[in-house]
Amino acid sequence: MNLNQIVIAALVLLILWYLTFLASRLDRLHHRVETSWATLDSLLQKRAAIATEIVRESNIDPATAFLISNAAHSARDAGIAGRSEAESVLSEALKMIQEIAYDETLELPSELLIELSDITSKIRLAINLHLESVNSARNLRNKIFIRLFRLAGKAPLPVKYSFEDDAL
Amino acid sequence: MKKIKIGMVCPYGWDSPGGVQTHIRELTRHLLDEGHQVSVFAPVTNEESIQEDWLVNAGKPISIPVNGSVARVLFGPIASSRVKQWIAQGDFDLLHLHEPAIPSLSLLACSAATGPMVGTFHVSSPKQKAIYAIGPILEPIVEKLTARIAVSESARKTLKEHFDTDAVVIPNGIEGAQYANAQPTIHWRNPNTLGFIGRFEEPRKGLQVLLAALPIIARFIPDVRILIAGPGDGDEFIKGLDVGLRNRIVFLGFLTDQEKASLLKSIDIYVAPNTGGESFGIILTEALSAGTPVVASDIPAFKAVLENGDAGLLFKNEDSSDLAKVLIGLLRDSEKQKQLSNRGKLSSQKYDWQVVAEQILTVYEMAMAGNEKVGLISDNRFWNRR
Repeated sequence: MNLNQIVIAALVLLILWYLTFLASRLDRLHHRVETSWATLDSLLQKRAAIATEIVRESNIDPATAFLISNAAHSARDAGIAGRSEAESVLSEALKMIQEIAYDETLELPSELLIELSDITSKIRLAINLHLESVNSARNLRNKIFIRLFRLAGKAPLPVKYSFEDDAL
Repeated sequence: MKKIKIGMVCPYGWDSPGGVQTHIRELTRHLLDEGHQVSVFAPVTNEESIQEDWLVNAGKPISIPVNGSVARVLFGPIASSRVKQWIAQGDFDLLHLHEPAIPSLSLLACSAATGPMVGTFHVSSPKQKAIYAIGPILEPIVEKLTARIAVSESARKTLKEHFDTDAVVIPNGIEGAQYANAQPTIHWRNPNTLGFIGRFEEPRKGLQVLLAALPIIARFIPDVRILIAGPGDGDEFIKGLDVGLRNRIVFLGFLTDQEKASLLKSIDIYVAPNTGGESFGIILTEALSAGTPVVASDIPAFKAVLENGDAGLLFKNEDSSDLAKVLIGLLRDSEKQKQLSNRGKLSSQKYDWQVVAEQILTVYEMAMAGNEKVGLISDNRFWNRR
């Protein structure tokens, strides 16, 4: 074996190592996008459930009540395409609850209100983590080596939803 | 939340004083109080000084110069194998790494481990930024953190600039009760007394701004005094001052935490004339929780803590006459002082460890959502698999 062959073999090994390194980085980030979305998803479901519950247990006017429970229902039933919009609508509707929360003529279930504000701050955190993982995954997928060797395979490109920006 | 086992890594020498060490010590105590298990891994210079049984000694730190100051950190092959051993034996649910982007134990742990990891970024002053300069090499390692926490908006900005990643802002905690329940010291307790705590010889702490305002204040409030605490040579400092001012200034030297709390309780107004370079302003939150009205320069960090002037008064940075105006107004208005005191106590609650630790636990919970445990990367290599 002459020197040339050794150098080429070393180079090939180095490239192979680099490719597996990149692939495992990408795999880890994809995995994180999934888990962070799962967390966010379950929190959003919980939020919709709490919103419905609040409306049911208070004596707010029928118009507001309808708006909120309607928004909560469509957020729970929405498919992938309509999800973002539905969550935005629910966020807006829930702002109304916050506005009337200090109105003493209303009978509002205070425990549920606390739970709602609790879950809202958790959602903010979950959105932050989800956006962060989506951004890093997308940044990495833009790398020339990853595109050239199709290291992402058939994994779908991670996406963020527009409702995530409003909620921050 | 179910009780978890947390592995916490401190990058700096445990027995040298510092904000990160204090943060870790207090956070750990709170986590233990809530029933979680915590093991802290840190470099230690003098083993006999260690009192905590949850601390694991990683070895002696070495001092490396970082832009004029000295950081006591530990890294290298021996430290690396100790980190791995600690992780392997710990059986942790989660690792919490402090300052994982500087060459230290935290970085070693981050590169060796897999599973849920939370990183807290403390650095924010522009001076220390250079230590993050090795960014691109560290990126694949820092990227492994499941969640990132920055202790302030400016720490978050520093992180964004260097790694292009975002973080959740969770402020530094304080032991609120320690300040709220402190007893005033009688001979510090005089009418119209102002307080200043910090390294007064450093220009960026802004004592000169306060001293320049003093003659103006004295014209309207004849018995005004300033109590100054902090490391430094007070006698030397006072020589450079106008004779008329000297009897209004008392240097107290370096105070313990308890004395500091008592001082904050004794004075009428705490003044923070810092001219810049602050990332958070923990002393302001301490003064607020003692119920002492605060007057501070309008630099971004202080504006944030004082909620744009609602929780304490602001003056134009480096403007002594504006400071004098604000102080005279407040010293004459005891009603306003009372109001600020109540407002400040209320707003400082969000910095109490009770609240802050709860927020950190929520981050932990989310980081652990994947239901994994902490392990070593090397265990996943196929030749190591059992």
